[in-house]
Amino acid sequence: MKVEEITARRRFVLMDGAMGTQLTARGLQPGQKPELAAFTMPETLIAIHRDYARAGADILFANTFGANDRKLAGSGYTAAQVVEASLGCARAAADETGALVALDIGPIGELLAPAGTLAFEDAYDQFARVVRAGAAAGADLVVLETMTDLYELKAAILAAKENCTLPVYVSMSFEARGRTFTGCTVESFAVTAAGLGVDGLGINCSLGPEEILPFAQRLCRCVPAGMPVFVKPNAGLPNPDGSYNITPAEFADLMRAYLPTGVSMLGGCCGTQPETIRLLRQMVEGHTPAAKTPVVRSRLCTPVRCVEVDGITVVGERINPTGKKRLQQALREGDSAYPCAQAVAQAEAGAQLLDVNAGLPGIDEAATLEMLVRELQSITDLPLQLDSTNPEALARALRIYNGKPIVNSVNGEQKSLDTILPLCKKYGAAVVGLTLDEQGIPKTAEGRLAIAGRIVAATDAIGIPREDVYIDCLTLTVSAEQSAAAETLKALTICKERYGVRTVLGVSNISFGLPCRGYMNTTFLTMAMQAGLDLAIMNPNTPEMMAAVRAYRVLTCQDPQSSDYLAAYANVTITTTQAAPAAAPASDAGDPGRDPLFEAVRRGLKQEAHDAAQKALETAQPLEVVNGILIPALDRVGEGFEKGTLFLPQLLQSATAAQAAFEVVKEAIARTGTPGQSKGKIVIATVKGDVHDIGKNIVRVILENYGYEVTDLGRDVPPERIVEAVRRTGAPLVGLSALMTTTVPNMEATIQALHQAGLPCKVMVGGAVLTPSYARAIGADFYAKDAKASADYAKTVFGG
Amino acid sequence: MELTAPQTTDRATVLRYLGAAGWTPDAATGALLDKAEAAVRAAATPRGIWRRLPMTALPLAEAGTDLARHLRGCDELVLMAVTLGSGLDGLIRRLEITDIALGAAADATASAWMEDLCDGLEGEIRRQITAGGRYLTGRYSPGYGDCPLTLQDPLCLALDTVRGIGLALTPEHLMTPRKSVTAILGVADHPVTGARAGCGHCLLRETCVYRKRGTTCES
Repeated sequence: MKVEEITARRRFVLMDGAMGTQLTARGLQPGQKPELAAFTMPETLIAIHRDYARAGADILFANTFGANDRKLAGSGYTAAQVVEASLGCARAAADETGALVALDIGPIGELLAPAGTLAFEDAYDQFARVVRAGAAAGADLVVLETMTDLYELKAAILAAKENCTLPVYVSMSFEARGRTFTGCTVESFAVTAAGLGVDGLGINCSLGPEEILPFAQRLCRCVPAGMPVFVKPNAGLPNPDGSYNITPAEFADLMRAYLPTGVSMLGGCCGTQPETIRLLRQMVEGHTPAAKTPVVRSRLCTPVRCVEVDGITVVGERINPTGKKRLQQALREGDSAYPCAQAVAQAEAGAQLLDVNAGLPGIDEAATLEMLVRELQSITDLPLQLDSTNPEALARALRIYNGKPIVNSVNGEQKSLDTILPLCKKYGAAVVGLTLDEQGIPKTAEGRLAIAGRIVAATDAIGIPREDVYIDCLTLTVSAEQSAAAETLKALTICKERYGVRTVLGVSNISFGLPCRGYMNTTFLTMAMQAGLDLAIMNPNTPEMMAAVRAYRVLTCQDPQSSDYLAAYANVTITTTQAAPAAAPASDAGDPGRDPLFEAVRRGLKQEAHDAAQKALETAQPLEVVNGILIPALDRVGEGFEKGTLFLPQLLQSATAAQAAFEVVKEAIARTGTPGQSKGKIVIATVKGDVHDIGKNIVRVILENYGYEVTDLGRDVPPERIVEAVRRTGAPLVGLSALMTTTVPNMEATIQALHQAGLPCKVMVGGAVLTPSYARAIGADFYAKDAKASADYAKTVFGG
Repeated sequence: MELTAPQTTDRATVLRYLGAAGWTPDAATGALLDKAEAAVRAAATPRGIWRRLPMTALPLAEAGTDLARHLRGCDELVLMAVTLGSGLDGLIRRLEITDIALGAAADATASAWMEDLCDGLEGEIRRQITAGGRYLTGRYSPGYGDCPLTLQDPLCLALDTVRGIGLALTPEHLMTPRKSVTAILGVADHPVTGARAGCGHCLLRETCVYRKRGTTCES
């Protein structure tokens, strides 16, 4: 058959059945690598392919599932050799019937960061080598299958599309709960893979025909009408001994249920055999694939969360340095912990998407945006809005984003449309279009609608569907131009009707220059929602704005039984105070032991510490608060811990409380615009190869609480990155952690590298397997038995 | 296969992992542990897999003397693996950024769960083996005694843990998701108990946290 027949969907296309099951049944021994069958048992391999072809399979999957360099390490063969030989065996059988041969690619077998240590780029390189070898060896199509990690799938799709011109088909494996092992949903898979431009997608392995059916139906609803969907189920669920119970006849019978679903390609996975395919062929005889009617929805996603933009949707605006001194400081210092904490806070407050902006004079926007995306997606499951007009920054962020994001933004200028829309198309992102151009912002609604029309024409032309286009009719500051608000809302309503697009507004812009901005923002937000606003870019930590959103959802029947509203407010009492600034109350400082902040930290009360720090700053300088209250409180707790009267959970709760207070102090310092007076710089890392980093993370919090400026390089950090960071920061102290005996040598290598680089820093080490003498033996200056000891040592290094 | 999450959490074990063995927690810490347990319960996806295989399924000749002693008299292997899933790793990452105390408590809670889940799966395996008139040793994991961590590679391959439960190894043979356990058990035609490594042979002999405190991991 021809590849074009797959997309024509005029008849059911059959794929083959299990390979591993057949190899084992025909003599593969335990411990023998199935990937090498083309060399060790070529006759058997060809016979299996031939049996599938004769049974009626239109597509044969070559035995290349595990043909990657990682799995073949030590086998004496390269991936390219195995791919070529295996494709040759499949082709030998396929030629007899005219079947197509697929380069079959499975997961690498190692988890990508942050779950594992494999870098996205390294996964891409491994897949790219296999793809190039497969294309050179004459494969007809590429199939990426049994994927459970959306991120790995994305690396593989990019590798396939950028390294060959063959059609690319992809499938993931779902558990009975409708998610993959890594939590990826059917919808996230569908919108991400379809957005990246695959030729067809499906579900295989893990489950039998009955269990996969509802997921396949969901898949059919999510992908574009013309895109083929396939299933390759197992012969039921496996028994503990690895065998399967469903017979070929039962399998073919169960697969009847797929005929009306819109699925157009069928095959089998583990436990199926040539007879299965023969009976499947009989079963589909005389049937044609049903029409597939996708439900058009605006979707954005991460692997575990697919957000349908259907009604008002809140985009958190806080990760944008414009006008935010504390974030500016964090971005300048390369500190990702602060923006990450902002992300979590916004998610808890009710944000459904997060805007991310790294545009700050004096920093490398592209590198910073990429870093932010990488770090944020490791700690939040909210989809991101990539907020930049810098093509390089967007290209880098889009490439490593895990899921389907939205780009903010293009505008009506031809240059903007020409440079940014192709990126959105390539990476399957939705896009925000601002209704402005070279001439600026049109005053009238009609003027903005005209620009929206040009933007929509451009997105149509490049193939971005209307449901992925979000037009921003632009909020103008009402104190500057009072009549503008009505014009914006008018444009918004007409825009939706005329172009069938979604709309977005940066709500808070309305109130610049006015007092009590919350009043203005909330009222404008309410009007905009009524005008049809879809995405509200706003601060979800403003209670009255979130209240307006939740109330609006109740009033427009988007919150059935008012359940979200009740969940948010059932136990809330509103207290409104409109206070003019009052004289600060007299402080009862003096005896730090009676200070409320001291007490809150000592007792480990996070919220109280936060509030008490704000109060303390009304009368005291930031540094007085740190040195006079926070540090003495931490010292008191530390003494108790050393004496054994306080335990680690209490020490950590105090540390968390102090951290909350410290954050208030940092905000205050950032507001003054003077650089924070750090007690000294410290670089910390968990060494290469080690993924156990909780000890290091505890040390970070404690050191930061004592006022040190900590550069945390994370885990699995190679020596050269640590050397580079010490050189860049000039840090006089480095902290290294390792949990495993197997990774302590990397700690030693790091210390040597620091010495060889001639860096005059002290090195402290910690971790379960270390002792003072072991630490000395590997060249460390100090062995820190716990986080408290690391703070004590820092004190001796920096003095005071 | 999906494993049932523990109904309750062994708080004594959690406190031991938090370096507070034998301590009766104060009210705040009690509340912290409650919160950590709820978070772990929401994020964990416990999965297990096991296979009964011939002795040749692992390269035992290269696996040290302690494991050999553990398997003395056995003529079959049972390999098992348990994981709490990558969602739990994500939870701990998130908590470590926002609340280190809660992060550490969740980490310790998850570790306590792992012991519970391994005991549960081992019990199930034992029932099946015993029902067949055979005997089973206890669990032995790579990295203990003189058994090298590199044995993880053939072990995970033999169980096909990547496809079965989403458990993969790093190039340094560490398990990801991080809250995961693999173990080797022996099957024999006569009663066997297996043998733990004991401190004399242990790779961690010089550095063990338990020995530093004057105890052992057995006590």
